[in-house]
Amino acid sequence: MARIVIDPITRIEGHLRIEAIVENGVVKEAYSSGTMVRGFEKILKGRDPRDAWAFTQRACGVCTTVHALASVRTVEDALGISVPKNAELIRNLMFCAQMVQDHVIHFYHLHALDWVDVVSALKADPRETSRIARSISTWPRTSPKYFKAVQDRLKAFVQSGQLGIFANGYWGHPAYKLPPEVNLLAVTHYLEALEWQKELVKIHAIFGGKNPHPHYLVGGMPCSINLEEVNAVNTERLNHVGSLIKEAIEVVEKMYIPDLLAIAGFYKDWARYGGGLRNYLVYGDLPTRSYNQPDSFKFPRGAILDRNLNEVHEVNGRDSEEIKEYVAHSWYTYAEGDEVAKHPWDGETEFNFTGPKPPFDYLNTDGKYSWIKTPRWKDHAMEVGPLARMLVAYASGVDEVKEVVNDTLQRLNVPVTALFSTLGRTAARGLETKLVVHWMKEFYDDLIANIKSGDMRTFNDEKWDPSTWPEEAIGVGMTEAPRGALAHWIRIKDRVIDNYQLVVPSTWNASPRDAKGQRSSYEEALIGTPVADLNQPVEILRTVHSFDPCIACAVHLYDPDGNQIHQITFN
Amino acid sequence: MQADTSHNIPVLILGIGNILMGDEGVGCRVVQHLQSQDLPDGITCLDGGTGGFHLLDIMQQARHILLVDATADGRPAGTVQKLQPKFSSDYPRTLTAHDIGLKDMLDAFHLLGKTPQITLFAVSIQPPGEMAAELSPDISAQIPRIAQTVLQEAKTCLSDFQLES
Repeated sequence: MARIVIDPITRIEGHLRIEAIVENGVVKEAYSSGTMVRGFEKILKGRDPRDAWAFTQRACGVCTTVHALASVRTVEDALGISVPKNAELIRNLMFCAQMVQDHVIHFYHLHALDWVDVVSALKADPRETSRIARSISTWPRTSPKYFKAVQDRLKAFVQSGQLGIFANGYWGHPAYKLPPEVNLLAVTHYLEALEWQKELVKIHAIFGGKNPHPHYLVGGMPCSINLEEVNAVNTERLNHVGSLIKEAIEVVEKMYIPDLLAIAGFYKDWARYGGGLRNYLVYGDLPTRSYNQPDSFKFPRGAILDRNLNEVHEVNGRDSEEIKEYVAHSWYTYAEGDEVAKHPWDGETEFNFTGPKPPFDYLNTDGKYSWIKTPRWKDHAMEVGPLARMLVAYASGVDEVKEVVNDTLQRLNVPVTALFSTLGRTAARGLETKLVVHWMKEFYDDLIANIKSGDMRTFNDEKWDPSTWPEEAIGVGMTEAPRGALAHWIRIKDRVIDNYQLVVPSTWNASPRDAKGQRSSYEEALIGTPVADLNQPVEILRTVHSFDPCIACAVHLYDPDGNQIHQITFN
Repeated sequence: MQADTSHNIPVLILGIGNILMGDEGVGCRVVQHLQSQDLPDGITCLDGGTGGFHLLDIMQQARHILLVDATADGRPAGTVQKLQPKFSSDYPRTLTAHDIGLKDMLDAFHLLGKTPQITLFAVSIQPPGEMAAELSPDISAQIPRIAQTVLQEAKTCLSDFQLES
């Protein structure tokens, strides 16, 4: 029996540590720990609620806008503000741009390296890569010369001895199954995606004034629409948005989805691993009428229990018996004792670090072992994210979701149960990207039509003045971040923030056990994962990365020096 | 989709950091300080916050980037080191949550075949404690001096650029 430690496991922001016990080449037990503490709640107390969005979105450089969106909705909910139609549509457009960019980056720049052997691409025959590329897509840049040029650049990079972005891979591991030619194709698109994503996020700068960290506004969006005005959202800028959306559809349809299906075809055995929890939670988003009408959402709200796709349960963020957070295994303490669970409106953020001082070998997983709290829905451990969204939409009978899911299962020739897996999670992310990029076009057309009808309003100022507010108010704002269900809860007292709690997607997925000992998503999904080589646990990375871990907002602040990439002890 | 490499920003002063982590946001604070001043044409300031991939576009537009970032390297708080890193591994290890995304991008420049000249100003800070939206008094008092050091370098870069063109 061996205990493997991978720390950090994230390719991007944040600090996540996984300890896994491997017996006879299979993971028997797993522990997930956030190694930085977050303390937004403390920073926000006493501030103007209208400023909260600006602070919360600084948590992370990956999904900055989603926290701003959740935050303004939270305050609007507390104060009873509804936003004009244009603002709702612009928020949807920014949501879609963020999700599409983030998912494509995740696939090519964070997750693909678990499946694509970069070094093997050096051995590829560019002519064969060209043939494969042309057989799966009508994407334009597919000449042998083009792939050869990328290969040469890659060669120079590797020969410089600076693997840099590729330094964290287990190159040459037998679990990599792609032929060199497909590896070269994926590396080439890695670079193309990088160049393209920077264009798409210009949508954030157009509507939000700047990037990174675009502006939001309680009561609407901080941009004025005037088709002829140079400094406003004008005809030229709207046309720019239109062309960025068109380009995004091309990238998703002709590059991302064909690559995803081609790569997935070599890894169908991963439909057997990584399923994990049997419960899925979605707050839903992309209102087609207004945020206050969840039945109009493109992503429906709901919960699935025990993988029963015949029943979707209602979810209510205001009900103090539904969403609650435990700290039994987290480095916090509750005034009423650490065994209780608290709804976020009554949430507390008192640090209580009991962990070992670095350097240390293992965390004491019988006690507290993470800076992440453990949220539960009606005391069930829930998975959130793309797979949850696709399953809840599928089970809710959304036709376009059923169509794309069924079509993909058919093309890969796998049964519907294949969805409950590492491969299913990665595929679900691609499928929702395909849906979202087309929804983005719908919202864009709606925005243009609404503007043409003469409605230029982007801001509702009725309750901007704090003197119009009640003495006390509570609110919840929900959204779907790329990584899953995200919500903020606020208590306003005497016109300032009295309590502010965030329950972020990675809190659901990466949290430690609850007071009853139930595992959360990562921990559960790792059970049964094969590990061929203890020194190169790429299989563990595959499953954890399929959730797109990004712990920057789940936990924050302190990194005890001494990050091993991984360490192994046999006993 | 291969963007052209017209370097239409001669000198970019890019502050990086998380302003919610107190002194960790020193890079952003230096830039915010400079933004309140009258700067010569050709010098652009950006508070890059925790942005990783989002910064690729503006970084590609720059001819010379002056990166201002925090490092908890044990030196007295406020020590400024001027470095000329080439690859991400040349960068000092920081305590930041944002460095991984940014370093990915720095290496991506090499693969994309477009590498701006980068000078890093690494500002030493004490390891951050609890979250705070404000700088410590110690670092706060040193912001004007650090900003002046960076601005001086920016002006030198700018005059080199003007001599060449």
